Amino acid sequence: MSPNTWVIEMPATVPHKSRPRRVSPYHNPPVLNDAFGRNARRGQDPLGRSEQPRRPENVVFADIQMILSVLKATGLLPIYEQISMYEVGPPTKSNEFYSFFIRGVVHALTVFNIYSLFTPNSAQLFYSYRETDNVNQWIELLLCILTYTLTVFACSRNAKNILRIMNEILQLDEEIRRQYGASLSQDCGFSVKFLVGIAVSQAYIIVLKIYAVKGVITPTSYILLAFYAIQNGLTATYIVFASALLRFVCIRFQFINKLLNGYTYIQQDKKKRKKGHHQYMEQFSEDSLFIYRMHNRLLRIYKDINECCSLILVCFLGYSFYTVTTNCYNLFVQITAKGMISSNILQWCFAWLCLHTSLLALLSRSCGSTTREANITSQILARIYGKTKENQNIIDKFLTKSIKQEVQFTAYGFFAIDNSTLFKIFSAVTTYLVILIQFKQLEDSKLDDMIEHGQST
Amino acid sequence: MPSTVQAESTNTTTTRMVHPLLQQFQQLFFVSKLVGILPQDLEKFRSKNVLEKSRNGAFYMVFTLIIYIILYNLLIYSFGEEDRTLKASQSTLTFVIGLFLTYIGLIMMATDQLTALRNQGQLGDLYDRILAVDERLFREQCVVDNSHISGRIKIMLIMTFFFEISILIATYIKLVDYTQWMSVLWVVSAVPTFINTLDKIWFAVSLYALKERFEAINTTLEELVATHEKFKAWLSGGDPYMDDSHSLDSSQPPPQYDSNLEYLYKELGGLDMGSLKGSGRNKVAPVAHSMNSFGESVQTGQKPQMNPMTVNMAHESELSNATKVEEKLNNLCQVHDEVCEIGKAMNELWSYPILSLMAYGFLIFTAQLYFLYCATQAQSIPSLFRSAKNPIITVIALSYTSGKCIYLIYLSWKTSLASKRTGISLHKCGVVADDNLLYEIVNHLSLKLLNHSVDFSACGFFTLDMETLYGVSGGITSYLIILIQFNLAAQQAKDAIQTFNSFNDTAGLMGAATEMGNESSTTTILYDLMTTTMMTPID
Repeated sequence: MSPNTWVIEMPATVPHKSRPRRVSPYHNPPVLNDAFGRNARRGQDPLGRSEQPRRPENVVFADIQMILSVLKATGLLPIYEQISMYEVGPPTKSNEFYSFFIRGVVHALTVFNIYSLFTPNSAQLFYSYRETDNVNQWIELLLCILTYTLTVFACSRNAKNILRIMNEILQLDEEIRRQYGASLSQDCGFSVKFLVGIAVSQAYIIVLKIYAVKGVITPTSYILLAFYAIQNGLTATYIVFASALLRFVCIRFQFINKLLNGYTYIQQDKKKRKKGHHQYMEQFSEDSLFIYRMHNRLLRIYKDINECCSLILVCFLGYSFYTVTTNCYNLFVQITAKGMISSNILQWCFAWLCLHTSLLALLSRSCGSTTREANITSQILARIYGKTKENQNIIDKFLTKSIKQEVQFTAYGFFAIDNSTLFKIFSAVTTYLVILIQFKQLEDSKLDDMIEHGQST
Repeated sequence: MPSTVQAESTNTTTTRMVHPLLQQFQQLFFVSKLVGILPQDLEKFRSKNVLEKSRNGAFYMVFTLIIYIILYNLLIYSFGEEDRTLKASQSTLTFVIGLFLTYIGLIMMATDQLTALRNQGQLGDLYDRILAVDERLFREQCVVDNSHISGRIKIMLIMTFFFEISILIATYIKLVDYTQWMSVLWVVSAVPTFINTLDKIWFAVSLYALKERFEAINTTLEELVATHEKFKAWLSGGDPYMDDSHSLDSSQPPPQYDSNLEYLYKELGGLDMGSLKGSGRNKVAPVAHSMNSFGESVQTGQKPQMNPMTVNMAHESELSNATKVEEKLNNLCQVHDEVCEIGKAMNELWSYPILSLMAYGFLIFTAQLYFLYCATQAQSIPSLFRSAKNPIITVIALSYTSGKCIYLIYLSWKTSLASKRTGISLHKCGVVADDNLLYEIVNHLSLKLLNHSVDFSACGFFTLDMETLYGVSGGITSYLIILIQFNLAAQQAKDAIQTFNSFNDTAGLMGAATEMGNESSTTTILYDLMTTTMMTPID
């Protein structure tokens, strides 16, 4: 898309200055570059990519490259081709076949696991004395399998959509770079940390499990355990990937908001006080159009991401809720149990709780912050006081549009995911815990009394 | 914007006219400084009414915090003697919850104090911003009266002292063994709630002040409407042309037609008035004079009690001149936005204390009621909750805690309602003026107002409004039902087992079976079955 196409679309705007696209709206590019982008100047000349004709990864997704490669290798993401710095293409036939093959293997393993779960083959993994514990474990395994299978299905169905989303993000970046000479920093360092954390916790959990099982472990159990860990890890990785995508969108929303913020009455007053001339609003109509377009595209990307992930998210949230509840309960039972505290189970519970809590927190935080940034745009726009009718009309148009535009990240339309979701999940967990613990105590007190009276008589 | 430059020049003269809000906080600041809630400098506050950072204050605060924590732990230790003997007989859940509940007061206090330490620089800025808002409002002839705020603070302080002291003394006399000198430590039990309440008084009063700012904006807009209505009435009554048209039309003219004529009239007359007003305030008299010559009789007939000056002012409606009123409305809108931003900043500063207060309120309310139930059933309760043994003290304590929470929620709700009301008031202006240009302005500004949102929330987890209050009360009820039901069930099971044991002689068998079934839940289920089947004939 050439940079002039949207200029033509502008309705009756200010007379055009003949100078080329300005560099940035801040009139002091260094500040902008500090705020956004470590390598802002590098993107300035459009031939930058010809120096390195075949980069391993484009700048935008460099931060989450590790996660991408993990997901590509496991067939969750298509192994796309790098067409240029700002475009990715569909996978080649052989790569497509590879993903297809991997997914086939995964489904075969899933079928095998379900078979062994329903037959006594896996009985040795359910060694706890308490019947309910074993049932819980069993359900957890089944839920994990269900979540992962759904993830694989959803991913294979949405492969094209994900590529489209990536392309759109890249295009957006290119336009921003062309317009303002700023390339946005990604700030997705969390993805690597989470990836390492997931891998470590899954390995730790397997080791714990293997130590806890009595006797010689059959190959079936090994396969079941290993696949269980991989499934968990990959589902968690996918959640981190979704959060990283959301973070990208969030950063772009932030950029827009910062651009707009320069035009608010407070900032304008400050500038006026400093320099004392009134030319700042001139570029507003031009900029606002760019910003509206960006905002719309970002919203579309946001919705696309939501559509791609929502089914997986619902499943994951359900699974996570179940795991958190049962592990909290087990933890409580272990702590209050008289005498026989098993450190193995304690560590197991802690590992699970840490993993799931941090994932839930990450997900809800990135969803919440993106939603907030998307919604804040209209609030910032409301702070711009255009002198002319034209500017006021431009503002009004956007504000009117955004009245009924509910921006939120939903879990398949069931509920919106943000900070309050985290709160709701944990309050629900507390309620269930209170009920479960009360039942447990009822059981225990009956048992104790029986023992006491039995011994006394 | 030339107007802001002009306004800035007048700024120096108006600064003296606006009294800072903090002036009203004298006693509250003194008390909070004494007990260690705010670290800011006392001398600066007295002399200049500003909140400034103070290193000594911070050290004093940390010192008080440590003292409180030590004393509170000492209190728990010395009064926990009974608990330790109780622990064996008590169920673990009751014990753990009891422990958690004893410490949540301390957690809440620590949150308050640490947050105040963290915010010590920003709190002053907040009040500076409120002062700036007051000045801007003053420039728009919209005066906010701060004088009754100190009265409000006094009432709140007196209420706090009354509740704290009545709970403390009543519990001390009725339920604490005051023959031992260690019982004096019981005084410490009131410290966390007291400190928390003082902190919340700061928040509540500042929030109230914000609400007043919103209301002042709303009343200014409504006054514009009222003035314009008078102006219209005066026009329709006093204008000879209008009277003619009325008599020509019919006995009851349709309102639209009427206003259309008025609009026409304004178009004719507006030029004159606009050109006169452009030169500034001093030219009010000629305008008033010209109006007087138009409608002397109606004026005196309608409002004879008013002095001539106010009458003249009243009939000079600002709404009739769109270009002039646009600036005023714009400014009001900006002030509204600024007040909203202040509200958000304030919410940010107090978000953790509010979250901890809400958690505390919810837990304490549930626990106190549950322990009240336990006490009536002659069951043991944690020693720090001994006030639950007496229903009257319980009622006082509960009304104190819930009063705090509900007042904050109510005030937040009211404030955000007041901020939303501005849009309605603005539209009234548009409707009453009935002028295309003004309509456009009003539409534009109301779109902006729609985006000035101030919703108070606790760290984004839940908003502070009536819906949350409803949800919390529902939560308390359901938890109470769950807890009491289980308590009942446990009690019944105990009784049943006792009767069962005295009733039959299968105890040996049971003993053997329970040794085996110690760890297996299947046998427990079996035993449940057994006891229930055995119980039924007895019941």
